[in-house]
Amino acid sequence: MSDAWIYGSGSEDTSRLLAELGFSPHRVAANGTLRPPAGESRAPALALVLANSLEQPSCAELCARLAADEELGEVPVIVALPSDVLSEGIGVVEGHELLVEPFTAEELQARIARARRAVSGIDHDDVVRVGSLEMNLATYQVAIDDRPVDFTYMEYELLKFLVTHPKRVFSREALLNRVWGYDYYGGARTVDVHVRRVRAKLGNEHASRIKTVRSVGYRWEGT
Amino acid sequence: MPGCYETATVYERRVNDSTGCQPNWTDRPKTGRLIRHTVQGVNGRDEFVLRTVEERGVRFIRLWFVDVLGLLKSFSIPVSELESALEEGVGLDGSSLEGASRLREHDVIAHPDPRTFQVLPWKPDSLVARMFCDVRQPDDGPFGGDSRATLRRVLEHAAALGYTMQVGCEVEFFIFGALGTNGAVPTTLDDGAYFDLTPLDVGSDFRRRTIEYLEQMGIPVKASHHEVAPSQHEIQLAHTDGLSMADSISTFRIAVKEAAHELGAYATFMPKPLAAHPGSGMHLHISLFEGERNAFHHTDAETPLSPTGRAFLAGVLAHACELTAVTNQWINSYRRLATGFEAPEFVSWTRRGAAALVRVPSRRPGRAEATRFELRSPDPACNPYMVLALVLAAGLRGIERGYELQAESIDDAPNGAPRLPLDLREATDLFDASELARETLGDRLVDVFVANKRRELDDERRTVTEFDRTRYLRLL
Repeated sequence: MSDAWIYGSGSEDTSRLLAELGFSPHRVAANGTLRPPAGESRAPALALVLANSLEQPSCAELCARLAADEELGEVPVIVALPSDVLSEGIGVVEGHELLVEPFTAEELQARIARARRAVSGIDHDDVVRVGSLEMNLATYQVAIDDRPVDFTYMEYELLKFLVTHPKRVFSREALLNRVWGYDYYGGARTVDVHVRRVRAKLGNEHASRIKTVRSVGYRWEGT
Repeated sequence: MPGCYETATVYERRVNDSTGCQPNWTDRPKTGRLIRHTVQGVNGRDEFVLRTVEERGVRFIRLWFVDVLGLLKSFSIPVSELESALEEGVGLDGSSLEGASRLREHDVIAHPDPRTFQVLPWKPDSLVARMFCDVRQPDDGPFGGDSRATLRRVLEHAAALGYTMQVGCEVEFFIFGALGTNGAVPTTLDDGAYFDLTPLDVGSDFRRRTIEYLEQMGIPVKASHHEVAPSQHEIQLAHTDGLSMADSISTFRIAVKEAAHELGAYATFMPKPLAAHPGSGMHLHISLFEGERNAFHHTDAETPLSPTGRAFLAGVLAHACELTAVTNQWINSYRRLATGFEAPEFVSWTRRGAAALVRVPSRRPGRAEATRFELRSPDPACNPYMVLALVLAAGLRGIERGYELQAESIDDAPNGAPRLPLDLREATDLFDASELARETLGDRLVDVFVANKRRELDDERRTVTEFDRTRYLRLL
């Protein structure tokens, strides 16, 4: 089950709604820590900030710290605000998506989908679409102009990682750690080799979306 | 979280430093080992294979492995058997890996490697996919006859020392028209009927199709061109890690044969098919990396290789003669080496000459990662797994024991350098007695290989050839 971390107090109703949507909610103490107290070290699928209940740190500061955190930087962040404080402007532009209290489970689900798409480009149906390229993360299938393209597992995993982390540069070492993670002895050059293979299979229209950032690494340009 | 990998591993590097000698890979002590701790399962790969088969409508899965001579073997399983094949492997008679000299029937288990799952591009009507297999004993222990596993073991040993091997390669081969029977000289395509059949050069059509297949199989091509001899072609494969390159070469040979077959031609990797023309070589471009750094690169532009690179090359040269049985494993291989055309005859290295065993290409400024040496003896009919395993083992031994590199040979003069074995018999004897080969490959692989070669030599010894007849029939 995916974790959802909730920042701020008064979270009982929100926890219940998240649990209904299949998340496992964890409350994070509002004392300035970024992580829940017990054991959870893996990044959650979602961070929900109840902005009105925050004092220290402020909503803006918390969101900035989340974005800057090495492990949590890619977590979709939703800021929830009661309708009567919207005009004060606090928290309105923070995070990836805004949620106005009170809200229903359906609205929460829609906001989560939007926040997720804002971060990773993944649509609600688990498909990433970039021009004529379609990557279905549920079925592991990639198609260009509706024609299937056959990748090997590691090529697929590399493409998936780049596509779902657009516009950010990753070093070869970072890609090795995050995509291969284990069981390789090809070294850092393995990344170059796989990038070349993926580019070859993507063909002219899409190959150039994987940018080589000289002496740094690679970046995916989704648009 | 989406896009996040659910596994993590901690590598422990524990190299046996205290004894000052390298661990024995065939029966490795724990100290030379790479230890993996898999935190969570790796079922993503199996899941990928199963879903792809379902989504793409793949009908059959070909499980590939190579025998001791590097010849590709394949057996098909229907999709219904795929899941259990991934989980438990598929039973197999291990003697099928032993070439023509089988010791005895022996049950082994072929475990498909899901990372090598790939839909075959040349079977568009009914989809067929392949996976390479690791062959292990029924009790999951290593099977001594599996050269792919042997290469993997040597690569892991290199990784434990902090090195990864990168290999690029240039493969030469011929495509002929219909093959005659009983060893008739084949028809070349560049000067015969085939050229008339199509307004375009069959060769370029063929190369285009082959390259498309290769790219779809994840084997990027750097360049291709028509070679010196009629009907001869060369395709350069971009560098990759050692295991992927050996897999790529195996795949390459079948892809080339398929592409030729579709054009009504026949591709051969026979080292020397035409007496009057150059044979086919398979030059290997080899480098070692430490992380992102090329361990062969020397900052001084006038020095061709770093101390590590020099010691590695010294190891390769020191063991070149005993490894020739593997780089050039057929009787026919020595006809290529015997006749010049830039094929190497002596254990020498050079920066400028064209006929040395090893060429160290001159450096291009700002391209430290491209520093490498080119081993020019192998031919495309070798077992790439055994060749890479032994070349790497020889080079690592050079590093570990601090071998000194011999002087560069200028203008292809051998300078007293030892000559390479003249024929397969000499090469096989040297290989049989090679302590490096036995340590790297294990006795079983060496013995089976040697048995195969002795049998081939015996067959030839009993054959009356065209040479005999033209030379002796009238004279005697």
